Formats: sequence, C-alpha cells, structure tokens
Amino acid sequence: MVDMALQITDLVKRYPTGTEALRGVSLDIAEGEFFGLLGPNGAGKSTLIHCTTGLAQPTSGSIRVFGHDAIEHYGEARLAVGLAPQDLNLDWFLTLEETLDYHGGYFGMPKKDRRERSKELLEAFSLTGKKDDRTRTLSGGMKRRLILARALMHRPRLLILDEPTAGVDVELRLELWHYVQRINAEGTTILLTTHYLEEAEQLCDKIAFINDGQIVATGTSDELAAHYGVDGLEDAYLELVGRKELSRGPGIVREIAS
Amino acid sequence: MTTTQIRFMALLRRECNRFFKIKRQTLGAPLLETFLYISVFGAALGSRIDKLHGVDYVVFIVPGLIMMAWAMNAFSNNASSILQQKFQRSIDDQLSSPASPLELLLAFTFGGFLRGMIVATLTFCAASLLVDLPVDHVLVLLPALFLVGVFFSQLGVLVGVRAEQFDDVSVAQTFVLQPLIFLGGVFYSAALLPEPFQTLTHFNPVYYMINLVRYGFIGYSEANVALSLLFLTGAAAALFTVNYRLFRRGYKLRA
Repeated sequence: MVDMALQITDLVKRYPTGTEALRGVSLDIAEGEFFGLLGPNGAGKSTLIHCTTGLAQPTSGSIRVFGHDAIEHYGEARLAVGLAPQDLNLDWFLTLEETLDYHGGYFGMPKKDRRERSKELLEAFSLTGKKDDRTRTLSGGMKRRLILARALMHRPRLLILDEPTAGVDVELRLELWHYVQRINAEGTTILLTTHYLEEAEQLCDKIAFINDGQIVATGTSDELAAHYGVDGLEDAYLELVGRKELSRGPGIVREIAS
Repeated sequence: MTTTQIRFMALLRRECNRFFKIKRQTLGAPLLETFLYISVFGAALGSRIDKLHGVDYVVFIVPGLIMMAWAMNAFSNNASSILQQKFQRSIDDQLSSPASPLELLLAFTFGGFLRGMIVATLTFCAASLLVDLPVDHVLVLLPALFLVGVFFSQLGVLVGVRAEQFDDVSVAQTFVLQPLIFLGGVFYSAALLPEPFQTLTHFNPVYYMINLVRYGFIGYSEANVALSLLFLTGAAAALFTVNYRLFRRGYKLRA
C-alpha cells in the first residue's frame, strides 16, 4: 500500500463574508510524489495550502499529513510540512542567517543543528556572502531563494511551493527546478502550484486541476489531455477555464491557414 | 532543552531581537523622554512646588514615571511588533509552525514586558542618580510592577492583533492610553483635584496602578493597596483570557 503524504477529504472553507473558497475538496498525494495543482486565480489553490499549513482555518473536512491530523492536533503534521509562500514574506528586521535560525527554532531544532543546516542552505542557494545582511536589502531573486531555504530549514517531508517561480528570471527558475527535482529524488514529496504550464508538465508526476473551489480533474499531463480530448496540458487547461479559443494547438493553426 | 522550550525561546528571541536592533528608538528615546520629564517637572518646576504628602515633588512623580515607562513600552512594543509582522505577513512563519496559541501569546507578551522592564530599570537607575529615591515596600512594588507590565503587554497584544493599519495603534496610544496615564495621577496627587475630577479619577484603572507603585517606593497611597493589587491581578488575567481566546480563534491572524 502506498503511504500518503497528504490526504484532504471534503475540505470546505467558507469565509465570514459567505464566500466559499473551497467546496468539498478531496485530494490524495502519495509519499515521494511531485504533485502539481493548477487553476486560475481565485480557484482556491492558496486557500487549500493555507488550510494545510494552519494559515487558514477550514470550515469542515479533514487534512492529514503523513497520517497526522493537521487541523486540531497539528503538531506532528506541521513539523512535516515546509511552506514557500507566494508572497515574499520575510521579516525586514532579520538577517538571512537569523531568518533561518529562528525558523529552525520554531520547529524545535537544537542550536548546533540550526547552525549547520543554515550554513548548508545558505551555501546551496549561493547566499553565504549575504548572511549578515538584513532581508530587505536583498533582490527579488535572492528573497525567493531565501524563502525556499527557509521552507527547507527543518527538513520537511512535504514541501509546498506556492508559485515559487513567479517573477523570477530564467536562470533562477532553472536553478530552482534543478534543486527541487533533486530533493524530490531524495524522497521529499512536493506540492507545487504554478501558472507556468510547462513548469508543471516538466516537473510533476501528477497534476490536479482546481476551479471554483473544487478539484475538477486529476492525472498525469497526458491523462488530463485525454480527459478533455485535446492534444496537451495547455489545451486541457484552456478547456478547464472555458477559453479554448486561445488554443495554440494544431487545430487553430489549420483554421488560420484555411 | 525540550523542543517546546527551544521553540518558545526562538519566538521570544525574535521579539527581543527586534527591539534591540532599533534600540535608539525602543530603549534610548523612552529613556530620554523620562529624563526630560524628571528635569522639567522635577528639577525646574519642582523647586517651586511644596512637598506632596511629606516628600519632594520630584520624588513623588518618579514612581509614576517608572510605571509609565514600563506601561508605554510594553504596550507599544507589542502592538507595533504584531502589526508590523502582520503587515509583512512574516508572522506566517510563526503561525505555520507547531507553536500553540499559548506559546505565541506568551512570546509576544514577554517581548514587550522585557522591553518595558529594561526601560523602567534604566529609568530607575537614572532617577536614583538624580534624586534620593526610597524603596519602602519592595514586596508591593515588585508584584505591582510585574502586573502593570503584564497588563500593558496584553493590551499591546490586543491592539496589535485587532489593528489593520499603523494608525490604529497610534490612535489607541495617543487618544486612550496616554490620557489615562497622564490623568491617572503621574504628575499630581488626585486628592488635590476639585470635584468632580477627584471622583472621576477613581474610574481610571491607571490611578490604582500608579498608587500601588508609588506605595512601593515612598509608602504613600490614596487607594487601598490590597484591593488595588487584587483589581490589577483580575484585570491582567481578564485581558490574558481575552487574548488567549483570540489567539485560539486565530482572530485577524489566520484566515
């Protein structure tokens, strides 16, 4: 039997305004999987991530991380999750080294371990020369790298990347891809949300489409294309959002030629 | 150290690190402010004011200034720190950790508490160099200052959690806190006020805090010491309970 890294069952999130951001979402991510979550803005991707990491409180449903409850008795579940959020939410007062050190502390890492791990991550993300600088002095790309380093600090078994390559240059994007592929190969389960379909296609073993607070389809890139009866992931996505007239596939080329 | 202790220390270190990094603003400025109060009200004007309840005017006001230093710093530290972290969303790093609502609340509380304690201690040391300040009832003074620190730390946490913009914090500080502290009798004895102001002062909770601290230093109080201590304990506990409920609910912290 495959062990599950993340099991979400009938998850509902209704805000006090009445807006239902998640409408009975169920999702299983197996241990070691590289899983992509795709959907338009406002589909519920970030809400789902926030519910998993404790930043939002679900209205109903259950979330289990490696079998541990993530809502009521969340201690073990949160230890297993690392979150690299979409926003560059760094504390301006802290240096890079302090950012990693405090994060390690929040997750109960002893001092010696924190020191070694932060040194290793600063090195891995080419940030060692900046370790004593305050985070607000970093460029956008460096902030993005630090956020990923922070998410990895406590050695999570499930890494959640919420649009990690939004607004970064090609070089950094490829660098991040290589890094996350490597840690996935080493056994870390990854949940990725992105608007770059080629990113999802290249990195993810499995992809789920989410729209209007519901999981609409799940499968490999080819399975999703087959599900919608189209040629590729992009066309499948356009079917999802009801914009198939934007397709760049062979069909539209033929139409233009005629 | 257990993982819980490591986590709590990390949360608390972060709070203290913040105010130490901007110590000119968080420690230096309040110290200078208190020094100016002592100079202007004590040395300059005080020489023209008769003794109040048997002590020099400057000695009469110093206990209130020490209490005010602790209260204002505890409050503003926590309100600003929480709002700033909410504003940057850097608070999500703590909120998505295994830290419990109680651990988070205590760490935020003691950040401001410690800043207030440092400024109050420095104020006490500086004042002791300038005036001959007695400590008559240390067993009242220490719990009174502790409770004042806890009360205003909690108030700072409450305002910081509720605030949505920096204006919300400064409004609470300028239009609520400062008038309550100044009208609570830091610079005068409420017994000298004409009616109805004397009676109105009795509805100001800060009046009882100032009296407790003043009693601890110079042995003079206009309010019942035991009742004031009881009232202050109850008020600090009530605020703590409110904050704990808000943290458990994730009010304005978690979506």
